[in-house]
Amino acid sequence: MNTLLKVEKISVSFDGFKAINSLSYSIGKNELKAIIGPNGAGKTTFMDIITGQTKPDEGKVLFGERSVWLESDQKYQVVWDENLLMKSESQIALLGIGRKFQRPTVFELKTVFENLFISMKKNRNPFSVLFQKLNRDEKNLIEKILGEISLKNEQDRIAGELSHGQKQWLEIGMLLTQEPKLLLIDEPAAGMTSNERRQTVEILKKLSADKSVIVVEHDMEFVKDLECEVTVLHEGSILSEGSIEHVSSNNEVIEVYLGR
Amino acid sequence: MTNSINDLLARHTLIFTIVVVIFSLFITFFSEPYGNGLISTSFVKTLGKTVCLCIIALAMDVVWGYCGILSLGHFAFFGLGGYMIGMWLMYERTAIIVQEAATNELLPLTETELSNAIGNQIFGVVGGYDIPSIWMFADSLGLQLILVIAVPGILAFIFGWLAFRSRVTGVYLSILTQALTLALSLYLFQNDSGLRGNNGLSGLQNIPGIEYLGQEVISIGFFWASCVFLISIFLLFHSLMKSKFGLIITSIRDNETRVRFLGYNVEIYKLFIFVLTAIISSIAGALYYPQAGIINPAELAPIASIYLAVWVAIGGRGKLYGAIIGAAFVSLFSSWFTGGQAPDIPLGIFTIEWVNWWTVLLGFGFVIITIFSENGIIGFLRNIFVKEK
Repeated sequence: MNTLLKVEKISVSFDGFKAINSLSYSIGKNELKAIIGPNGAGKTTFMDIITGQTKPDEGKVLFGERSVWLESDQKYQVVWDENLLMKSESQIALLGIGRKFQRPTVFELKTVFENLFISMKKNRNPFSVLFQKLNRDEKNLIEKILGEISLKNEQDRIAGELSHGQKQWLEIGMLLTQEPKLLLIDEPAAGMTSNERRQTVEILKKLSADKSVIVVEHDMEFVKDLECEVTVLHEGSILSEGSIEHVSSNNEVIEVYLGR
Repeated sequence: MTNSINDLLARHTLIFTIVVVIFSLFITFFSEPYGNGLISTSFVKTLGKTVCLCIIALAMDVVWGYCGILSLGHFAFFGLGGYMIGMWLMYERTAIIVQEAATNELLPLTETELSNAIGNQIFGVVGGYDIPSIWMFADSLGLQLILVIAVPGILAFIFGWLAFRSRVTGVYLSILTQALTLALSLYLFQNDSGLRGNNGLSGLQNIPGIEYLGQEVISIGFFWASCVFLISIFLLFHSLMKSKFGLIITSIRDNETRVRFLGYNVEIYKLFIFVLTAIISSIAGALYYPQAGIINPAELAPIASIYLAVWVAIGGRGKLYGAIIGAAFVSLFSSWFTGGQAPDIPLGIFTIEWVNWWTVLLGFGFVIITIFSENGIIGFLRNIFVKEK
């Protein structure tokens, strides 16, 4: 399995406070992984770095691994398509990294349909956008996604009127219309009812069929339902990695996280 | 439901076009040259100027109400447009006058003598007769018209590119735009700026070549030109803001970060809107100042751009007709109150003279409207007439 994203020994500090401390992490294609950790562990900063909002003081963030056959050496060499540290937020998004924010961030004054329409994967150049009209295929794709995020009956409603859980789904839907390769999802279950949580777990599992997904969560129970590899962050570095059973039996994890 | 809203909007543009056309015909049929003269030429000019102010208010509404950039510099672009067209008007008219006067001379004037005579006529007031190099195209209407678009366009592009690329937003951006306006106005105030310092350009109402038509006819012509431009800009902005492009522009206003993470290059979009509205403001200015007859650097002072924001806020930002209503309403009232037509109110020991007290009234009006209706006059009317959406 090829690695899609590789983070190598990144560190970042804000006013002397080390938010991320020599952190390395990677995720393969079509893999679902979860990151948990107490408040202030550096989860959101980690996402900020991948999506280009924060530049790390040191380290590398690489995207898209490929093997290239070297004729001269008669062997394969690993190369990376992109170095994310050289790119702006919008360029990183265009490479295929979608991000869902901690608080649902949708365009509240626009309808559900319009929210999905502007997220659609298309040429983002303003001169091209001027003449873009919605065609039948795109309309069908939006309707399909509306079905996946259970908002089919709400498509003409103003997004601001949706419930908290529905807004979370709409934001996931907006990521889907972008057709990303990697999804970064920050606290998807926050403020959801148990019914909505169950549906969210289903949505996320379905997504990982053809996308890599990193879920950042605060809530152990939700992560348990995802049935995936878990990374525990603490004070900007990795405390433990493995299955949920493995990490939750780790004494250090219990002390810093579960013990609270 | 979406369809019925679109129908309503489509009807709005039709209604708007019809209203403006009927209004223009109405004014024409009561004007001095084409009607019974009930409406004086000077009032036709006032209306024509008001229409130009409505156009720049539309531009302001798009850049602020739709894109969220509170620019306090758009009136500077308006003034620049006036200066660019004014240079041709003044140069050409002076050249004609000088040549006419020279026909009585025994010897025809040499090229240098002619140039010096024109220079002396125009720049004598700031002590000089050399024609500055920025006037090199002033003898060509076509080139000056290109400058009407190019000068503010390039200025807005350079300024916008630097400001947006550095992610300057909100109040900081407003302050920067205001600084730009102030710098431009202070520069123009200098006598050696090449644009006649604080005297500005004058006699712009005399259009070289068609002066024989008389002001009555010329004023109607400019009035119509302004109305046609207003309709075209309204239609342009309306279709632009209704399209996907418009959706992205209003999304940038509502949540810039989200748009950026969707992969849009927010800076390019802002720059596009900033430059487009600057150019439209400039063209509106090029239509305004031949009707006003005079332009001087005080017109470009920051206060004018602040007034512009006030008009849009009073009318209702985020709605195109809101901007038009605000600009028309406030500027017509302003010229009524400050023109001495409004009766003064004697209060015994003290008399309210509207010429001085108008700004106080405007200030109160602004405060009251923004307190009671977030969306200005438009929002207020909507609350009354549209009970439930």
